[in-house]
Amino acid sequence: MRWILRIHLAALWLLSTVISASGAELPSADLPIEQVIDQFTQQRLDAEKVSAAPQAGEANLLRRLMLDVAGRIPTSAEATAYVANPSAAKRVELVDRLLASPDFVWHQRNELDRMLLPNKPNDGDFRKYLLWAVKENRSWEAMFRDMLIGDEADENRKPATTFIKSRARDLDDMLNDTAILFFGVNVTCAKCHDHPLTPEWKQHHYFGMASFFSRTYVTKKNLLAERPFGEVKFKSKRKDDTKGEQTAKFEFLTGAIIDEPVVERSADDMKKIEETIKAAMQKDDAPPPEKPSFSPREKLVEIALRSEDNRFFARNIINRVWDRFFGRGLVHPVDQLHAANAPSHPELLDWLTRDLVAHGYDLKRLIRGIVLSQAYSRSSEWTAGSQPPDPALFAVAKVKPLTPRQYAVSLLIARQSPDQWPALDKPEEWIARREQLENGSNGYASFFEMPGENFQVAVDEALLFSNSKRIEDELLRDSKTEIVGYLKSLPDNAAVIEAAFQTICSRPPRDDERAAIDGYLQSHSTDRVAAIRQFVWALLTGPEMRFSY
Amino acid sequence: MASDPTKLNKTKDIGIPSIAMCVARIPNSGRLIFGSSDFKLHEIDVFAEKPQSTAFGGEGHQSYVTGVVLPTPNVAVSSSYDGQLIWWDVEKREPTRKVKAHELWMRRLVISPDGKTIASVADDMQCKLWNAETGEMLRQFSDHKAMTPHDFPSMLHAVAFSADGKFIATGDKVGHVAIWEATSGSKVGTVEAPGLYTWDPKQRRHSIGGIRALAFSPDNKLLAVGGIGQIGNIDHLDAPARVEIFDWQKGERKHELNNDKFKALVEDLAFDPASQWLLSSGGAGDGFVTFVSPETGKVIHQDKLPMHVHQLALNEASDTLFAVGHHKIVVCEFKATDPPPAAPAEAAKS
Amino acid sequence: MTLSRRGFLNVAAIGAAGTFAADMTRFDMLRHSAWADEAKKQGKRVILLWLAGGASQLETFDPKPGRPTGGPYRAIPTSATGVHISELLPKMAARIQQTTAIVRSLNTKNADHGGGATIMETGRIKDPGIEYPDLGAVCAKELGRLDSAVPDYVSMYTSTEGRRKGGSGFLGSRYAPMFLSESMQPENIRRLESISDLDHQDRLALRELLAKKFTQNRNSDSLGSHTQAYQRVRGLMASEKLFDIEQEPAEMRAKYGPTQFGQQCLIARRLVEAGVPFVKVARAWWDSHGENFETHRELCADLDHSMSALLDDLKDRGLLEHTLVLTFGEFGRTPGINASLGRDHFAAAWSATLSGCGVRGGACFGKTDEDGHKVADGEVGAGDLFATILSALGIDPLKEYHVGARPVPLSDFGSKPIKDVLI
Repeated sequence: MRWILRIHLAALWLLSTVISASGAELPSADLPIEQVIDQFTQQRLDAEKVSAAPQAGEANLLRRLMLDVAGRIPTSAEATAYVANPSAAKRVELVDRLLASPDFVWHQRNELDRMLLPNKPNDGDFRKYLLWAVKENRSWEAMFRDMLIGDEADENRKPATTFIKSRARDLDDMLNDTAILFFGVNVTCAKCHDHPLTPEWKQHHYFGMASFFSRTYVTKKNLLAERPFGEVKFKSKRKDDTKGEQTAKFEFLTGAIIDEPVVERSADDMKKIEETIKAAMQKDDAPPPEKPSFSPREKLVEIALRSEDNRFFARNIINRVWDRFFGRGLVHPVDQLHAANAPSHPELLDWLTRDLVAHGYDLKRLIRGIVLSQAYSRSSEWTAGSQPPDPALFAVAKVKPLTPRQYAVSLLIARQSPDQWPALDKPEEWIARREQLENGSNGYASFFEMPGENFQVAVDEALLFSNSKRIEDELLRDSKTEIVGYLKSLPDNAAVIEAAFQTICSRPPRDDERAAIDGYLQSHSTDRVAAIRQFVWALLTGPEMRFSY
Repeated sequence: MASDPTKLNKTKDIGIPSIAMCVARIPNSGRLIFGSSDFKLHEIDVFAEKPQSTAFGGEGHQSYVTGVVLPTPNVAVSSSYDGQLIWWDVEKREPTRKVKAHELWMRRLVISPDGKTIASVADDMQCKLWNAETGEMLRQFSDHKAMTPHDFPSMLHAVAFSADGKFIATGDKVGHVAIWEATSGSKVGTVEAPGLYTWDPKQRRHSIGGIRALAFSPDNKLLAVGGIGQIGNIDHLDAPARVEIFDWQKGERKHELNNDKFKALVEDLAFDPASQWLLSSGGAGDGFVTFVSPETGKVIHQDKLPMHVHQLALNEASDTLFAVGHHKIVVCEFKATDPPPAAPAEAAKS
Repeated sequence: MTLSRRGFLNVAAIGAAGTFAADMTRFDMLRHSAWADEAKKQGKRVILLWLAGGASQLETFDPKPGRPTGGPYRAIPTSATGVHISELLPKMAARIQQTTAIVRSLNTKNADHGGGATIMETGRIKDPGIEYPDLGAVCAKELGRLDSAVPDYVSMYTSTEGRRKGGSGFLGSRYAPMFLSESMQPENIRRLESISDLDHQDRLALRELLAKKFTQNRNSDSLGSHTQAYQRVRGLMASEKLFDIEQEPAEMRAKYGPTQFGQQCLIARRLVEAGVPFVKVARAWWDSHGENFETHRELCADLDHSMSALLDDLKDRGLLEHTLVLTFGEFGRTPGINASLGRDHFAAAWSATLSGCGVRGGACFGKTDEDGHKVADGEVGAGDLFATILSALGIDPLKEYHVGARPVPLSDFGSKPIKDVLI
């Protein structure tokens, strides 16, 4: 097998296993995560002489927390209750309640799904696995094992290997996606030209990583399997190369190398094994291939997780979780975890790495820490007049486009009459409703684009909302159980306006909004229902609904 | 009766460098004249110990040779995509006459049983009759639309003389067949076989198929029409070889025969002079030959052939076939070694 | 205070204008090179006639008459001295010198439908780490206007086989195609009858008014694109008639002929005339594994007539010098003729054409060997073809987008425009 050299990137800064990037001692491991986050983000703001945006208002924060942790907007009652709650600890209570709720399980599942199988959004079995794993609060380390090694005998964990199986046809896919999603390095980065900033990463690193996957295949019966032998050979494309063809070693990104125990096999044995494998790949009734004594994928997992080499694995997931909540990674972009692309807050990343490893890769704990920080709860408005500050300072919250699922579920909540939801003191009733919302949102979710870097809203979306029958029939229906019907039943425009804002935007209207809507409803009073519909439409399609802010 | 399709046995399998599109046999011999994708006519004696083909010389055709007939053992006439009819001296292997016969690609050439009249068809949708000796055009006629109902150019692939030379049938891409009185050129009947034309309006938006072969029964009553059935994926010849048999004078379809064994295009049809069988042959990736009872439509015998067959010739006894096609020429015998089985009473009548 | 309806609209309109200006500065990060701005000023357009499934170069623009691979059709002279094409394209033959350059030396290496299509849509091989935009999205971005009232990338693919929408990859869905498959009428472009036109406008204005305060102090390109998307709604709705060929006189419709492809070419002309920078018309499906010659007889007649009518019409309207008309698909077809008289997938030596804008009519670049098995002279890849296309449009193929830290040139690394076919 020959592979074109595709990589020129370095991870040299990661090669030295220091606790702190600056050499200074890290803050105590016993501090709450949120406190450390705030300490380091503030330090950097101070150093850059930037004043952060003020903290977001309560209604704003509630909406952000709900979207980020529960994957949906709050109901009108939830929004009202949160603001009215006099407890000083209400934010902590809310976060703990959400993290324990079915909402979190669904949302966390959806987020992991879109990260891990971005091109196959509806693999039912894999999604089931993720749901199970999140419910169990399975550690990220264990999930990594489930996905890379797998256990065909365990009903719950079996579908996890879809991560590899769905990519097994292409060695590049297995290797690149594993490197990008679990280690934060994009080994395809510079295919045809030298990266101007990054020292060249040696070819053998790339092929070393490839060797961990080159023996992987999927049988006709869809079992994940590995050959007991097989090497990756490569040759430099450089004209001045004198080495000729080389055999790749099992080499991890850190430079750690695994030696395969030598097994003597006769040509005859090899032929027999090849035939068994061929049969397994082609025939339904072929016996499952024997598991080899040396499994490169198991070895990869072993190295990636051992303490002297786990920095890629740990930092990557911290950075990805951070990116999800802040709209930007500590290392940005998230697949460029290398020397030339230093983190915005190196000590913070170091501290979080130590914390995550020490607490068994508990993602829920990390999320809790992030969303309780002051850095997370800043306003998304920048009113200081000047240009907004460097986004790497996290001085102002980022406006984040909703995922198709968040938007779809939120629309289904906003379109309902506020009296249709279970009472707040009956959370058990919410469990079934949440599942209904999840399933009911499939159709709408399919209309919207998954946000990526530089996400832009397609005009198709605006046309859909503007002119589709489905939107009119489903989101703007004049029925008692729906928002339009509910608003219609209210005595006057003032009540309509208050209720609509509270239901759709999770906040009361401002005075200028009251005046504008009142003017609109009055000037369109010949058909009150139509006017209410138009008003609801304007809110449902507004940026406040489309983005988390 | 000396033939027995169940005894079908391949006796020769000769490789050739080009694709043979058409064939005529010099009577009472193994000498075949075939036209091919190299734009040439060739002669080959398939009964020779080491059959070698020899190309005809001179200024010949400028495209695939699609039809060849032998008015006399020493005169061959050929047609081509180049629109020309060429008369050849078989001994000298030289052209003797060229006629610009059609505006568009010529698809088939047949000759009347008396050897005097040649009929040609081409994508100008015309059938033209020619004096085989003088090369003079006798008449032309057409009942075939230039465009398909789906606004694409149609094609006219098939033409046949009846056994007594009285009638001519022509069949086009969309499955329309017209039957003509040879002497007057007046239309005496039509039949429709739309099942041979596949139009895919949705997946691939073009068509495939059409009538590729026609044959009259020895008593003139039946007309067999060959091609391929409805194709799901028109990227490939992926449907049963299909033959429809009509009592054309009554305008009745007697049989619709979809071959359950071969997915292929029927390129040629031939009736047993004793009416015991109707032979169809053609191919896709490889070839086939099928004998059916024209009376019952039941398969008597069928087998694979090693290449896609484009045309075949029969010997005088109708117990040996000479098939030409994709880089091969094949000879198969189907001689009755024992007395033939007693024919069913019904069949004996016809 | 009661606002009159008219008054409300006025207030809203002022609001809309203000927001718009703010967004334009926000979109400043999407700044274009001076060269591309120049291209925009000149109103360059592209119509890609996508020959889906893979048309045979031997039955179109690179015939090999008389060779064992040549098939039955003759080569005929064209209006360009010394350039012959298949007799299946007589109308195009008469127009080569005036309009069209032929590239006969494409070697794109991948003869698999999916892989080949990716290469010919994006001008480079698939890269697992990155989703490249297709040619339409690149042209939409480089030639379109952010506030355009017409769509900037329309893609038609009616047949179902091999149907591909195309995509804007890392450029984002702002540049994704308006995709027409089942119907030639774009989805959701027509106002529902249940809302009056005035209310439809008012509702949008109300939305804009409410959104204004929200967007004012928040800095986000995505947010800007949301505003833009809704601002384009009314303009796009007004473009509904562009998709209706009944708006054309009967003689004009007759010129394009009765086939669906012909009608789609007419729609394409209506679109580019109205300022749509990129229109793709897919003609599927050319995948002639069986009966190659009959299949090409049909499909070439369709291509020959429709393309000629399109070029004539563009020329008559003075649009051809600004409009680049392209033909290619995912690959060509094998010189070898299989037993079903078909030709199979082949990417090693095949042809594309460029007509109109920036193109030297009658130029015939590159050569294949006498049987068409290999490129004999002037081998070019998909990247080179794309560099040529961009150059013909006045877009710098070396211009780079940045995906994170990674520079991505518009046409693939190392690709070069084919100068011989450019003016």
